[in-house]
Amino acid sequence: MNAVITLIIGFLGIAVGYGVYARSIDKNIMQPDDKKATPAKMYMDGVDFTPANRNVLFGYQFKSIAALGPIVGPIVAVRWGWLPALLWIIVGTFFIGWVQDYSSIMLGVREDGQSFGALSYRLVSPRARTILLTFIYFYLLLIMGAFGKIVGYDLMSNPAVPIGVLLVILIGLLAGQMTYKWKMDIILTSLVTVVLAFVGIWIGTLSGVQSLLTAINGSPDTTVFGSVTWAQFFWSLVVLVICYFGAVLPIWRWAQPINYVAFWIVFLGILGGTIGLLIWHPAFPADFPAFTNWNGDLCAATDCSGVEKTVGAMGPLWPLLFVTIACGAISGWHSLVSSSGTARQLEKESDALYVGGGAMFLEMFLAVLSLLTAVVGVGVTRGFAGYVSLVAAGKNAGVFAVGLSEMMSHIGIPVSFGLPYGSVFLTLMALTIMYLVVRFMRVASAEFLGDSIPLFKNTTFGTLVALALSALFIWTGFWARIWILFGGANQLMASLALLLVTLWLKSNGKKYLWTLIPFAFMFVTTIYALLLTAYKVLSTLSGLPVDKFVGNILAGVIAIYLVAAALILGWDAFKAFRRPGAEAKVEA
Amino acid sequence: MTEEQKRTARWLETVKSVLYGMAGHDMARYALKTRGSMEHLFILITMGDLLGVPILPPYYSLRLLPYVVPQISTWKRRMLREKDLTDALA
Repeated sequence: MNAVITLIIGFLGIAVGYGVYARSIDKNIMQPDDKKATPAKMYMDGVDFTPANRNVLFGYQFKSIAALGPIVGPIVAVRWGWLPALLWIIVGTFFIGWVQDYSSIMLGVREDGQSFGALSYRLVSPRARTILLTFIYFYLLLIMGAFGKIVGYDLMSNPAVPIGVLLVILIGLLAGQMTYKWKMDIILTSLVTVVLAFVGIWIGTLSGVQSLLTAINGSPDTTVFGSVTWAQFFWSLVVLVICYFGAVLPIWRWAQPINYVAFWIVFLGILGGTIGLLIWHPAFPADFPAFTNWNGDLCAATDCSGVEKTVGAMGPLWPLLFVTIACGAISGWHSLVSSSGTARQLEKESDALYVGGGAMFLEMFLAVLSLLTAVVGVGVTRGFAGYVSLVAAGKNAGVFAVGLSEMMSHIGIPVSFGLPYGSVFLTLMALTIMYLVVRFMRVASAEFLGDSIPLFKNTTFGTLVALALSALFIWTGFWARIWILFGGANQLMASLALLLVTLWLKSNGKKYLWTLIPFAFMFVTTIYALLLTAYKVLSTLSGLPVDKFVGNILAGVIAIYLVAAALILGWDAFKAFRRPGAEAKVEA
Repeated sequence: MTEEQKRTARWLETVKSVLYGMAGHDMARYALKTRGSMEHLFILITMGDLLGVPILPPYYSLRLLPYVVPQISTWKRRMLREKDLTDALA
C-alpha cells in the first residue's frame, strides 16, 4: 500500500464520519437550535463565558486536544502491526472519538456551561464528583510520568537536543518580554522569535556543542540508582526544573510565550512533514508487517538477534491496543476541554459539530501521519529491523523524529537538521503540557489539602510536592506500563464522559444508544486493560532493580485504584440509569 | 470585487482565524481572564456587601458605585457560580 493511499483512506473516513454519521446524529438527535442562547451569550462576562468565532474555536479546540498522545500512541501500537493501529484510529474516531468530543460540548451548552464535576454530581451521584477529581489527579500524575520519561530518558539524552530546547525556552521568554513589556507588534515578534528558535535548534546540532553534551551525559553504563543512568537522571531533573518555573512564574512570563513559539515549531513541522510525505509518496515497505501477532511481540515477528536490548511483548491486542492509542482515537481529556472550555465560548449551537467533531477528525489525521512516520519514515529507510531496534532502545519518540526528518528531507530539509528538529518538536510538545500539569496539580493539592495542611497553600511547597511525585513516576517503573496506565486513566475518563452524556440524553428523552454502546465498549476494555497491567506489574517483581520494583508497585496500586473507582462510578451510574425517564437526576 | 476574489478572501480569513485560534486565542483569553479577575476582586473588596460579605460600606464605595453598576450582574453571576477544579483545566 502507498502512504498517500493511507492518507486518502483517512480523508474518506473523515468525509463519511463527519459528513454522514456525525451530521445525521447532529440533525436528528441533538437538533441544534441557533435561536437558543448559548451559555456564552446568556452569561457573557468577558472572562469565562465569551462567544468566539467558530473558526477561532476550531483552532483552539484542536490545539487543546492535540499533544503527545496522538503522536506516540500510534508508534507504540505498530508493535501489533500497522493495520490494527490504523483501523483503531479510523474506526475509533468514527464511532467513539468525535461522539465524545461533540456530545460533551453539547452537554455543556445545554446545561448552562456547567463543568463535568458539577454534572457528575447531579447526574450520577455526589461521590461521582470526588471520584472524577481524584481520577483527574492520577491522570495528570501519569501524564508527568509518561511524558517525563519520554523527554528525560529518550529525547533530552540525545546530545543534539537539549541546547535547542533550552534556547527555544529562552527565546520564548524573549517573546513574552517583547509582547507584554515592550508592546511590540505580534507579527514582528513572531517572525523574530521563530527564526531565532530555528537558529537555536541548529546551534544544538553543531559538533562542538554535541561533544560537550556527550561529555555531560557520561558513560551509558554509569548508573545513579537502580537502572537509572546519569544522563537519564540529569536530564529528567532539568525537565523538572523547567516545570518548576512553568508552575510558579506568572503564566504570561513563562508558559504562554514559550507555548506560542513552540506552537510555530510544531505547526511548521507537521506542515513540512505532510507536504514532504505527499511529494515522496512512498509505498509501505514489504518487510513491515501489517499484522505482527496478537501479543504485540516484535521478536516473534522478526529476527531480534541483532538487537542489543530485548523487546518484551506488549500483551493481548484486545484490550491493550485500545488504551495504547488513546488521543488519536478517543481521549477523556477532550471531554474536559470541551465542557469547561469550548462549550462556554460557543456562539451558536450549530457550531458544536464543526468545532468538536471537526477538531477530533483532524486529530485523527495527525495520528495517521504519526503512524506513517513509523511505517514509511523509518520503515522505508531502515526497514522493519530499524523500527525494532529503535523501540528496543526505548526510543519510541525517536521513531517519530527519524520518520519526520525523512519526510521533511523531501522538501529540502537535510536529515542532519530534521532529526534534532523532530526531537525538539516532540520535547516542546511534551514540556508545554507538563508545566501546566504541575501548575494544575499545585492548585488541586491546595484545594484538597489546603484547609487541613495549610502548607499546601504555599506555592513553592505545593509545586515541589507535585514535582516529587512526578519524579517518583519518572525515575521508577517501565515506560510501556506507565503509558498503558496513562491511556487507561484517559479512556476511563472518556467512559465517564460518555456515561454522563448517556444519562443526560435519557433524562431528556433522546436516543442514547450512540453513546451507550461506545461507553460500554470503552468501560469494559479499559477495566480489563488495567487489571491486566496490574497483574503484569505485580506478578513480575522478583529480581527487579530497586527503581523498577518501586515503579511496578506504584503502577499496580494505581491500576487497582482506577479499576475500583471506575466500578463504583459504574454502579452509581447504573442506579441513576434505572431511575425512571426524565427523573434520572440525583436529588442534590 | 469579483466572486472569485471574495471566495479567496473568505478562505484566507478562515485560515487566519484557525491559526489565531491555535496560536493566540488562549493567550488573549488568559489576558481577559486576568483582567476580569482583578476587576472582580476589586468589586468584591468595595461592594462585597451586595453578596452578603460583611464589608462596611465606605465613602469610596458610593463614589465608585456608578462605575461598577454595569458590571454588577456579571460579577455576581461569576462569584456565585458553582466551580470546581475542572474549571481550572480549560
